[in-house]
Parts: sequence; structure tokens; C-alpha cells
Amino acid sequence: MRPRLALACHLFCLGSIRCVSLLVPGYQREEWWREWRSELWHVRQACAPERGISWAAEHEVARFCLGAFQDALCLRRHAAPRRIPHATTMGSAMQCILLLAGLAAISYGIALLLPGVSAILHSPHYRDAQNLMLIRDAKYSGDSIPTISTEQYQLWNLRRQEIFDGFSYYRVAFESVLNAKNVKAERRIAVASPNLFALLGLPIRFASGEAQGEMPQLILSNEMWKNEFGGDPHISGRLVRVGQRDAIVGGVAPAESWRLPGKVDAWLLEPDAAGIADGMGFVVAHLKASPLHAQWGRSWHMSAPKPDGSLDDFFCVSLTERTRGCGDVFLFAVLLACLALPATTSLPLGEYRLSSRKLSWPKRLRRWCFLGSKIALLLPIVYFVSLDLAHLRATLDPISSEYIQLVSSFSICLFGLRWALRDQRQRCPVCLGKLTHPARVGQPSRTFLAWNGTELICVSGHGLLHVPEMPTSWFSTQRWLYLDSSWEVLFAEPSLASASYF
Amino acid sequence: MAAEAKLSHTAAMILQAVNAGWVYGFSIMEMTGLPSGTVYPAMRRLERDELIRSQWEQQSIADAEQRPPRKYYKLTRAGKLTLESSRRRYPLLAKLIPSQEEERV
Repeated sequence: MRPRLALACHLFCLGSIRCVSLLVPGYQREEWWREWRSELWHVRQACAPERGISWAAEHEVARFCLGAFQDALCLRRHAAPRRIPHATTMGSAMQCILLLAGLAAISYGIALLLPGVSAILHSPHYRDAQNLMLIRDAKYSGDSIPTISTEQYQLWNLRRQEIFDGFSYYRVAFESVLNAKNVKAERRIAVASPNLFALLGLPIRFASGEAQGEMPQLILSNEMWKNEFGGDPHISGRLVRVGQRDAIVGGVAPAESWRLPGKVDAWLLEPDAAGIADGMGFVVAHLKASPLHAQWGRSWHMSAPKPDGSLDDFFCVSLTERTRGCGDVFLFAVLLACLALPATTSLPLGEYRLSSRKLSWPKRLRRWCFLGSKIALLLPIVYFVSLDLAHLRATLDPISSEYIQLVSSFSICLFGLRWALRDQRQRCPVCLGKLTHPARVGQPSRTFLAWNGTELICVSGHGLLHVPEMPTSWFSTQRWLYLDSSWEVLFAEPSLASASYF
Repeated sequence: MAAEAKLSHTAAMILQAVNAGWVYGFSIMEMTGLPSGTVYPAMRRLERDELIRSQWEQQSIADAEQRPPRKYYKLTRAGKLTLESSRRRYPLLAKLIPSQEEERV
């Protein structure tokens, strides 16, 4: 009879193999357990003595049992779903598009969180800005100084006009305003003709739409509405003391909407233009629609009568430049980046044999769609990121912000376009997976006898990409080599591709 | 499975052992001197690649000899072709593991 110790060793070995069998996939487990149990019995029969216990024999049996662990792991490895190669997951076209879409969403989200950018994104457009002319006395070079007298404006407004079909006037002055807490504060108020906002085509928020009679209407800037009146949405219709008279709040101008000369906290629209006190101000006029006027361009001189009857020279400049949005800066930066792109990378995507049976028409179309999608997603990223950078600090003046936007748009766009082209060149034209396993081929010293450069492979087995180290007249750009069906066996069975079984 | 698959020396030894009549795992271990952790996984791969196939011994035979039934392995046609090419690659293979009939002689 076998001693108890030998029996305990046997049971321990059986228990160990049974535990190890849990590593084996379920559908193979019972047969695997049956085979190892049978083999263990035979090993013990061969090694262990008939009576008693031999530690050398037990050592042999234990070594045999250890092999069960390796066997179970081997079966488990083979039964596990084949890992998708790196190139088709990390470098897949879909993942690339999703990443870009995510970046675009994040940059847009940040843009909405930054008050300055959010205001720009939602700022209204001036109606017919190219026909809105800012008129100034030609004797002055800049248009930031008020040069038109109230009298002059009233003269033009009353006369029958051939060139213009509407005038508006405003004059900026410091006036005391009583805020919501009845605290008087000096604010920059633009005393304006009643048609100022209508002429510019700017909407007014919270406007009641009711006629206010003879009382002047006060339009608050977004900043003043928030700072002085706590952002009250029912502000419209409230009486406010402005200087020596009462005015009724007519609404709030959208943030970042005022692009005309003069920094203004509120606009006091006089019901009658004649009520505007004498002084120097600015005149905005709307040009009549005419093919002749369109030929004059964005700025021109005109002679017009003065209140004293003499003629004077005036300079008219279109508001197009002033009302130019961030989109124009962005488009200019994109144009510059497109022009600079050939200096940073080559534009061709390489040579691809069109006759290949593998590259069908839909696959070729998909490849171009992928490149188009990358660029289409890149542009909003560039736009929003540049806006975010330009308006990161609220204290920056508009000119600095514009420069920051221009520089950042150009840099990001150039880098992004370069990346899009390089990424496209490093992808398989069939599956759009990223090419991997770069290998150096050839020697630089033999450039004139053979090519030297880098060879990349598509892990799905669609082909090889040859990138020359030094472009020559016979090998100027990268070439794609499609692999025929005889290569498929290498990619179908990854385990056989290895040199040996072990 | 491609019959021309190139085997490592270890896999060729196991294939040669099966062909020589050492038809179950423990006997292959004894013949080749390889540990169980090498022999059994190798046989799984050879079976997966259809170079060998396995068959359980009949229960009645095992019962008659009062032992558990064994799992026997046998070369397939592809296995024989692969072994032939492996013998050309490893000329000493047949001498290392002679067939059981040769051993008896």
C-alpha cells in the first residue's frame, strides 16, 4: 500500500493540475484535464517506487506538473482573440478623424467659456457694411477724431441727397449716469441721431419695440448693462438719469458689436436730431446702391457744402475694414499658410500605381475623402484655438488680439496642413492604416546605382512604401508597392511569420 | 496548413519521435529528453497546424490493463511531408531518434 505521504503528494499534484486547468479555455478544459491526469498517472508509475516514497521521484513528478502550467498558458494564448495590429487601431483613419473632431469640440467649448471669444462668435454683422461710409473732414488724417459738426450733419440730413440715402450722427461726451444703486458715475455716452442702430443694422437686445415719445432712448453697452445694472433682463423701459435729463432704457447693444470710432458705454438716441447739442462728432452715411458707386472703391474724396455755403473737402471711408470679423483674419492666415506650405513639406502624396487590382475606385475616393475630412476638421480647430489664444486675457487691446490671432492661426494652420499631408503619405492607400516597421534600405554611397531610403510596411499586408532618403531624378518621391496574393500567407498566420515554433 | 512550413529543431524532434512510434506525451518526453513544458505546448501547435492528430485510446483496452486511457498522436500526410523536409534540414534527426523497430534490431 502506498504510504499516506505519497498519496498526499499525488493528490497535491492532481489538485495543482486541476487548478491550472482553469487557465485552459472552457471548451478544451475537460480533455486537457483528462490527458494530464492520465499522463500524471503514467509518470508516477514510471518514476515512483512500488513501495515507500522517493523524493527524487517526487521531484521528477513535480517538474512534470510544472509543464502543465506552460501548456495551459499556451492554449490560452492561442484561444485568445487575435490582437488587432497596432496600425489598424492606433493609426486607423476613424480614430484620427475622431481625435480631430474631439479637438475641434474642445477648442469650441473653450471658446464658449471665454467671454471675449463667445461675444465675438455671437456678435452681429453690420448690414451692408461696404456701403456704410464714415465721413470725416479731409483735413484730418485719422478717423478717430471727431471732425464733423452737428450743424454740418443737420445740413446734410435736410438736403436732398444724390449719393447717400441715410445719415446718422453721434457725438461722444462724458455724462453722469445714475446706475441701479442710484450711484452717479461719469460714463462715455454717445449722443446720437435716432436712426444710428437702424442704419448700422445692429440689433438691440431686450428692446420693447414700443415708441418712447419725446424722451431720449438710452441703449446700454453690454459691459455697462452687466456692471451698472447687474445684467437685469427687464431693464428695458426703466427711467435713467443721464446728465441733466431723463432717458428711458431702450435695450442693450450686443457685446463686441460697436466698431465705430470712440469707446462708448451707452448711446443716447435723441428723438429729434436737432436736439443734439453743438459740437464735433462722427457721421455715418449709407451709400445709394449704384454700379457707379461700386466703382469708387472703399474710400474716396467728395466736396460738399458747409453751413456757411462754401465747399469743403471730405473723405469717405467704407466701414468694411472696421467691421471685419475674426473670420477675415483667419482666412488671411490660412491663405498665408497655404502659400508657405510647399516650403515646409512636399505636396505630392507619392506615386501609386492606378492599375492595381487592390485599389478600387471607392477606395481611392475614400482616401481623398479622408484627407479632405482631416483638413475640414483642422480648419475649425485652427480658428477656435487662435481665437482662444487671442482672447485668453480680457485686458488685451483689440489690435494685439488681432496680431495674436493672425500669428497663431498661421502657425497652427501651417503645422496642421503639414501634418495632414505627412500623415496621409504614411498611410496605406488601401486600408488607410498607419504604416509601421520602418527599415533602412540601401546605402547612401550607392545612391547612383540603387535607391536608398526607408521602407515601411502595411501590417495588413497591402504593400510596402519606399521613401527615398535623397530625392533623385529617377526616384524623386515616395513609391507604393502593392503586394500580390502570394504574400497573403505571411499576414494571414502571424505565428508562422515568426522564425520558429519556440 | 502549408506543408512547407519550416520547423525548429525541437519541433522536428517531436515530429520525428511521433513518427518513430513514441505516440504519447510522456514517451516523447523520455525519448527526446525535453521537459513537459516544451513537449506538450509544441504538440498543441503541431496539432493545430495539422501536422499531427490525436486520438484517445479505447477505454476497454485501458480498463483491461488497469490504467487510465492515453491520448495517442499520429502524423498526418502534411506532417510526413514536413518531416521529410525537416530531415533534409536536420540530417542527424533520424539518428537521434530512430524508429522503435530499428531500436529493437
